[in-house]
Amino acid sequence: MDRSTAAPIRSLDEFAKRPPMKWSKHILGYLFLLPAVVIFFTFLWLPIGKGIVYSFYDIDFVKGDSFVGWANYTKIFKDAEVTVSAKNTLYYMMLGILIGFWVPILFAIAISEIRRFQGFVRVAAYLPFVVPLVVLYGLWKWLYDPVGPINAALEKLGFSQVLFLTDKAWSMISIVFMETWQSFGSAMLIYLAAIMSVPRDWYEAAEIDGAGVWKRIRHITLPAIKNQIILLFLLQLIATSQGFQTQFAMLDGGPNNSTLTYALLIQRYAFTRQDYGAASALGVLMFLVLGLLAVLQYRMSNKKEE
Amino acid sequence: MKTYDRGILSVYDLKKPGKRLVYYLMMLVVLIMACSMLYPMLIIFFNGLKLNTEVNSFPPTFLPSEWHFENYRTAWKYIELPLFARNTMFIFAGNMTITVIVLGLASFSLSRMNVPYKKAIGYFFLLTLFIPPTTYIIPNFVNLRDLGLINSFWALWLPAGANAFFLLLLKSFFDGIHMELFESARIDGASELRLFYQIAFPLSVPIFATLAIFVFATAWNDWYWPGLIMSSNDRYPLATAISKYVVNIRRLDINLRFAILSMVTMPPVLVFLLFQKYIIRGLNFGGIKG
Repeated sequence: MDRSTAAPIRSLDEFAKRPPMKWSKHILGYLFLLPAVVIFFTFLWLPIGKGIVYSFYDIDFVKGDSFVGWANYTKIFKDAEVTVSAKNTLYYMMLGILIGFWVPILFAIAISEIRRFQGFVRVAAYLPFVVPLVVLYGLWKWLYDPVGPINAALEKLGFSQVLFLTDKAWSMISIVFMETWQSFGSAMLIYLAAIMSVPRDWYEAAEIDGAGVWKRIRHITLPAIKNQIILLFLLQLIATSQGFQTQFAMLDGGPNNSTLTYALLIQRYAFTRQDYGAASALGVLMFLVLGLLAVLQYRMSNKKEE
Repeated sequence: MKTYDRGILSVYDLKKPGKRLVYYLMMLVVLIMACSMLYPMLIIFFNGLKLNTEVNSFPPTFLPSEWHFENYRTAWKYIELPLFARNTMFIFAGNMTITVIVLGLASFSLSRMNVPYKKAIGYFFLLTLFIPPTTYIIPNFVNLRDLGLINSFWALWLPAGANAFFLLLLKSFFDGIHMELFESARIDGASELRLFYQIAFPLSVPIFATLAIFVFATAWNDWYWPGLIMSSNDRYPLATAISKYVVNIRRLDINLRFAILSMVTMPPVLVFLLFQKYIIRGLNFGGIKG
């Protein structure tokens, strides 16, 4: 209450005795950083560094590690499955773009135009993203079943039965379709936020100048979300290039290795063949390719902030 | 003066029959999309209520012809759901604690405190964002094994603090708090620790709520990695247990499978519907930051 009496005036001697303010501040600042530094080092930098070291070793949990030079690398370069898996990964990334990438953009534009029930549609679109992945696997295995609902609908429309998961030609497409269904809502909300922040007057002005609907979308809406498009494009490439969990959970890389992605092969090397050295070598190779994409994405997201 | 809102389309556009038709077609597509989102969600619940013969019938039905609520009781007994759910909550609580303490302190220090070589330390954290996790997933596993953390919850808790994205999220939040608040508190004689607990912390409840949702989603969703780390099955989180004992077991009746799946779906869906605001905010934020 009465502050004037609370703090007695300190003598100059007292100030002189105190350690310099700056130094004690620094100590506390570093103390705050210390746990994070230790944890980032032990659980990120250390394994990252060890990955490079392990790629030159034969890892044996019982007998101990032994140096093998480039043997792991020559082994993986000779393995035909590595080529197959790299091709599958590229195919998976391409399908992700072809089937999935444009969907959220299209729906964001459409939903921004809806006057009623917009909130409901947003929630509906986002909902599958909330469902646990393992539930999705169980659900879609049933949906894709030869006698499941999708095939029932196809039959009603006069198409023949499609073996979504067991047909080599369909397996990867089915996985991409399922993932698009699951995750387009989150991307859609990001686009939607950007579209909604476009001043309405711009459309008004364009319309008065005689721009048709398509021209308004082409010259106002799309440029307004250009940064998001590029950013999400790169993020999707980074994510799909590492994808393996869906392929593993739904089909374990089958049928006939048609959904064996590069990252899934890494898991196989490590946990099926117990060849941790070669698996680390595969990881190093992947890093060399993907590091480039990540840097690109960083430069994009920095540009965005300005 | 026109006060109503317009989008890309104006009322004049909608008066032209051609554009009107396209607009209605578009609405129809959106409606179909919404249904195709909701149908599979609802079918998880309805399939859990059917008889097994009905789930297996062709063509599949949507609503159950008879409602068999006892399926849920049988499903409850099939695996120890409470045990696995407890493990998941245990993992979530630990992850959240570590995240808040470790990243809260670090981001506060980077954002608000006077630390020499701040930039270099920042890079030490943020460069990890450039390295795709899959490329070091194996050495990561071997590393945890070397540290003797396999089959321990610490193997999930401690690495939860090593998240540069969350660090960035918290740091830019602290950056946004007005400097004057801290200055005036400093002038009043508050220590740095007190600044953190009495100003920064209460102000950042919303950002921690957003963070909590992310951490919860990860804990509830993650099935692969905990399955590798935990070697004894009484430590599996729910997601791992479901994938091992429910999704990949062919013998299990499909109606029971769906009953279990719907019980697992319920909590996150409820959390989402309750905390929508924070989730969408965090999401937009994440979208901008990448």
